[in-house]
Amino acid sequence: MKRLALTMAFILLSLIVRTVYSQDLTAVEILKKTDSVITAVKDAKTKTKTILIDKDKNEKIRESEIYERGKDKRLIRFISPADQKGIAFLSLPDDVQYVYLPAFHKVRRIASSAKNTNFAGTDFTYDDLSTFEYSPLCIPKLLETTNETYILELTPKPNVKKDYSKLKMWIRKDNFYPVKYEMYDKNGKLWKILERRKIEKVGNYWISKEVEMRDVKANHSTKMIIEKIEVDTGLSDDIFTERYLSKVN
Amino acid sequence: MNMRDNILFSAFLIIILATTSIADISINGYIQTDNRLRLEEPKTWTWNENKLNMKLDAKPSDKIRAFGEIRLKGIGFSNANSTSDLQDKSKKNAIPYSLEMQEAYMDINSFLTKKLDLRIGRQVIVWGTADKINPSSNLCPDDLEDIFNFGEKIGVNALKASFYQKIGETDLTLTGVFIPLFTPSTLPSSEWSKAFAGDFEIPMGMKLASFSDKLILPENKPSKSSSFGLKLSTSLLGYDLSFGYYNGYDKLPLVKTIFISPKDTENQTVDVIVHSSYPKIQVISGDIVGEIASIGIWAEGAVFIPKETEMVETFLTPPRSLLKKSVALDDEPYVKYVIGGDYNFKHGFYLNMQYVHGFIHERGKGNLNDYLVQRLEYKFHNDEVKLVPLSFAVGIDDWENIKENYGIVYMPELTYSPYDSFELTLGAFILSGKGNELFSKLKDNDEFYIRAKVSF
Repeated sequence: MKRLALTMAFILLSLIVRTVYSQDLTAVEILKKTDSVITAVKDAKTKTKTILIDKDKNEKIRESEIYERGKDKRLIRFISPADQKGIAFLSLPDDVQYVYLPAFHKVRRIASSAKNTNFAGTDFTYDDLSTFEYSPLCIPKLLETTNETYILELTPKPNVKKDYSKLKMWIRKDNFYPVKYEMYDKNGKLWKILERRKIEKVGNYWISKEVEMRDVKANHSTKMIIEKIEVDTGLSDDIFTERYLSKVN
Repeated sequence: MNMRDNILFSAFLIIILATTSIADISINGYIQTDNRLRLEEPKTWTWNENKLNMKLDAKPSDKIRAFGEIRLKGIGFSNANSTSDLQDKSKKNAIPYSLEMQEAYMDINSFLTKKLDLRIGRQVIVWGTADKINPSSNLCPDDLEDIFNFGEKIGVNALKASFYQKIGETDLTLTGVFIPLFTPSTLPSSEWSKAFAGDFEIPMGMKLASFSDKLILPENKPSKSSSFGLKLSTSLLGYDLSFGYYNGYDKLPLVKTIFISPKDTENQTVDVIVHSSYPKIQVISGDIVGEIASIGIWAEGAVFIPKETEMVETFLTPPRSLLKKSVALDDEPYVKYVIGGDYNFKHGFYLNMQYVHGFIHERGKGNLNDYLVQRLEYKFHNDEVKLVPLSFAVGIDDWENIKENYGIVYMPELTYSPYDSFELTLGAFILSGKGNELFSKLKDNDEFYIRAKVSF
């Protein structure tokens, strides 16, 4: 009986501490924790199936392999369809981006004006694909706390150029994993919704194996499904170079 | 295509089909049709092309890659003039076709050291940061068969070595290329050849009876036919830079001798024989690419240092002959350059502009013209439709008298891709101008085209 009472007291204390701790978290702290969860993986290699779905539910499928390292290096190479095979995109720190187009036999640098254009017909912009952390870019405000999620509103910092005016983010309380984003255009109208599903632990990290971006205005969506993932395999920095960009894997 | 070509192509197909199942090999390619119709009288078909392009890509081990690209083209029109042409088993006159090997090379990555990559074999090498018009890209000859597809290069047999070195935080790439044999550029077909043809005058009062020409290619020995290039690339202050050097040949022919001989003294007609050669050149080049205020910018320039080429005109007037010597290309260096920029606007608009001093075929100080090339694209309907409403190039021959020396080509285009790997393109080339400018020379060649392409 004494043992049960002690256990109950411990659980109660834990809940109180946890509740107090959670209540004390500011929006900035929540966002930083979310950033650290999203960028926790040292490196990852994934094989991804991307499905483009139009308003009539017609589907187009693209397959790609994605290499990521740290917070700001990503290389995407298309495997299919045939007319896009070999096209590769490299995102490096300081908004430096390159694309390799096999038909032209050369790597081409992309101006940052392309950041807000859609990547290869998907609903993801180049900027969406190269943004890993939001705390350096946005000012967060805690809108609401539910039993399971924090809801933050993010607005771009004054010196940061983004195509959206604000972004709402739903973050799981148990692991600080962001499960949903709503992006609003410059007129404050809902523009895009991103949802992360099938959130699973891979090694020591939380990974979402299905991400869907829906363009509400265009009535078009893109679903990215991770078919295979390997984390912390020690990907070399050499992969995130122009030299590797033009090579077939 | 002769029997040997047939055997080669069949062997290529057999090797592909036999090996795909047992090794890490992929086959890709496309089938494309391209038909063009002259808009001016007599409104004939001017281009009839059906192309099967096949690419074989194999990676037998981590460090080795093999790549081949071959094109089987049915191009042109039936040349059958007699029943024997129709009975000919090669069918070359009834149904013209050709076979081209564009590339066939092997990559040996991290050769001896992690920092060195080699590429050996027939390959296309393109240098420079500008779009399609690259004065620093002189290693491979231009494929000018289709004049509106300028920037297309022909693969050459070469050894390319790329050495990668990091100094502090700066990445450096040193590329060296050795090309043992000379390969000339191809030229547009007769209808378009006047675009690149120089002025030629026969003696006053004479009429041309016949014309023939002969190309004098460099001898096939290392000291004569080889060329090489070096390039150093790096990044500095947010910009990518490269500096290059090329020592080899200009790939376009230059008239060296003209023989004019009387054919018929009564009717005052003459036969003309022209010999052309390929001048030696050295090219020192540089390019830079980066951005200012989100606008992509690039600049590329090259100093061409030609070897002086003399031209001799001989007018045979038996028992004597008149000789006239002049300089076809002097050794004074000349500079070609391109300055350009691009910007992605919202809602699918993309603008690309370039200012070009010295087009692909132009050479010699004082012979370089200026061009403004612009392309506005608009993608919509989930990128299934690409409209190019404003695509044009304006050429100026003489800035002091622009009204009489200009040319313009307008190239609207519409591409529809309702399904993956398929595209249907409609477009036109509308040419206008005055004087001797490049596009002006072609002003009677307005065309409409339709293309269909499936990739696999």
